[in-house]
Amino acid sequence: MVTAALQICLAYYIVSLLDPVLLSWQCINRPIVVAPIAGLVLGDLHTGIIMGAALESIFMGISAIGGSIPADATTSSIIAVAYTILTGASVEEGLAIAMPIGTVMASLNGMLTPIWASLAAYWEKLACECNPKKFAIANAVVVLITPLVNTVILFFAVSYGVEGLNAFLASMPAWVLTGLGAASGMMLAVGFAILTSMIWNNEVGVFFFVGYVLVKYLGMATLPIAIIGIAVAITMFFAEKRSIDLKNSLQNTKSVANDEEDFF
Amino acid sequence: MEKKVLGAEEKKVLNSMFWRSHLVFTNFNMVKMEANGFTLTMTPAIESIYKDDPEGKKEAYLRHQNFFNTHAVPFSFIAGLSYAMEKEHHDNGSVDGQTIESIKASLMGPTAGMFDSLFFNCLRIIAAGIGIGLCAEGSILGTIIFILIYGVSQSVVKYFFINAGYVYGTSFIDAVFSSGLMSALTKAASVLGLMMVGAMTAQMVNVPLNLTLNVGQTSVVVQDVVNQIFPGLLGVLLLFFLVRLIKKGARPTQLIIGIFVFALVGAFIHIF
Repeated sequence: MVTAALQICLAYYIVSLLDPVLLSWQCINRPIVVAPIAGLVLGDLHTGIIMGAALESIFMGISAIGGSIPADATTSSIIAVAYTILTGASVEEGLAIAMPIGTVMASLNGMLTPIWASLAAYWEKLACECNPKKFAIANAVVVLITPLVNTVILFFAVSYGVEGLNAFLASMPAWVLTGLGAASGMMLAVGFAILTSMIWNNEVGVFFFVGYVLVKYLGMATLPIAIIGIAVAITMFFAEKRSIDLKNSLQNTKSVANDEEDFF
Repeated sequence: MEKKVLGAEEKKVLNSMFWRSHLVFTNFNMVKMEANGFTLTMTPAIESIYKDDPEGKKEAYLRHQNFFNTHAVPFSFIAGLSYAMEKEHHDNGSVDGQTIESIKASLMGPTAGMFDSLFFNCLRIIAAGIGIGLCAEGSILGTIIFILIYGVSQSVVKYFFINAGYVYGTSFIDAVFSSGLMSALTKAASVLGLMMVGAMTAQMVNVPLNLTLNVGQTSVVVQDVVNQIFPGLLGVLLLFFLVRLIKKGARPTQLIIGIFVFALVGAFIHIF
C-alpha cells in the first residue's frame, strides 16, 4: 500500500504544480484532465481517460466561484483513478473511497489557509526590495512547497486510511479550528484595509458605504453595482469638467481684462 | 481615439507580460489573493518604466502588490491597462498612484462576474460536454479538445486583452490628459473604486463573533444584536480600525499576526 500511496501522491503533486501556472483557471485541475494524467503516471492511460469522462460528469456542476471550494474535485479524482488502477476496483468503488478523502482534504486545506495567508506580509516586504529575480524565486519555492504539504497529508490518508486523519482532526482542540476559521474570515480585512487606505479620498469616501449597503441590504452582485458606480462616476466627471471649464474661462477673461488695463 | 503604434520595447514588455500573466494564481492567499500574480506580471513593465528611478520603482512594486482578484482573462486586460497608467505616471506625472489603485479596484469585481459566467459557466460546460463524449469511448482526444476549447482559448483572449488594455489605456489617458481633465478622472475613479471596495468588503470580510450574554433568564446573541443595528457592523469596524492603524504606520506583518493571535485567543475564550 505504501508504494501505491507514493505513486498516487506523485501524480497528485505533479498535477497540483501544473494547475496554477499552466493555462487558465480550473483547466488543468478538472477531472477530465487530471484523471488521464493520473492514469499516465500510474501506467494505465486508458482507464484514466474512461474515468475522466465519468468524473467530469459528476463534478461538472460543482463550481468554486469566489474562491471557496465546496468539493475537492482534483483530489477526489486522483484518488479514485489511482484506487481503481491499483486495486482493479470499479469506478464506483474508487469514487466511494475517494469522496471522503476529498472532503477531509478540503477541511484540512481550510485549516492551512490562514497559515499561507500570513505570508502576505513577507511578499510585500520582498516586493519592496525591487529585486524581481529574488521575488520570482521565492514564489517558485513556495509554489513547490504548498502542494507538498497536501501531498504528505494525502499520503497518510491513503496509506493509513481516512480514519487516522479524522482522529487527528478530532484530537485537535475545538478552539484551534474555530480560531483558524475566524482568522481566515478576518484576514481579508487586512488586504481591503491597505487598499482602502491607498484609494481613500475624504471628499468621496462616503461612496464606500454605498457599495457596502448595496450588497448587505439589497444583496446585489458586483456587476449591477459597478453599473450604478459608473453612472455616478460619469455624472461626477462631467460636473468636475464643467467647474474646470468654468475656472479656465474665468481665468481667460481675467487675463484678457489685465491685458486691456496694461494697454491703456 | 486613434490607435497607437507600439514600439519595439513596448512589444517586448507586453509579450513578456503575456507569458507571465499565466501566473495569476501564484501563491493565492486570503489576504491579498492574486497580488503575487499581479506583481509577477507587472515586473517587466515596472523594470522597463522605472529603469533609473529606484524610488518610483519601489512605489510601483508596492502598488501592484496590493489586494487583487478577478478572473484570469480580464486579469491581463487590467495588467495591460496598468502598464499604460504606470508609463503615464512616470513619463508625464499626469496619473497619480491613487488613480491607478482606484481604477484597478473598480475593475476587479465586475470583470470577475462577467468572465466567470462567460468562461466558467458557459464555455467550460460546452468544452466538457464534447470532451466527455470522446473520453467515454476511451479517446484521449476528449481531454485535448477540452484543453483546446477551454484552456487555450483563454490564453488567446489573454494575449489580445493585454495588448488592448495597453493600447486603449494609453490613448484614453492621452485624450483625458490633453483636455486637462485628469483631476476630474481621478475623482470619478475614486468614487467607483471605493464603491467596489465597499461592495467587496460586504461580500467577503467576516467577523464570526459567537458570543451569547446571559442576563438573568434571557440570553442575548451579541452578533444578532449588532447585525440588527447595521449588518456586518463588526467587519466594517475592523476594516476602519485597520485603516487607522495603517495610516499611523502599522506594518502589514503586525496586522496579520495581530489578527491571527486575536482569532486564536478569541476562540480560546469562546467569543468566536
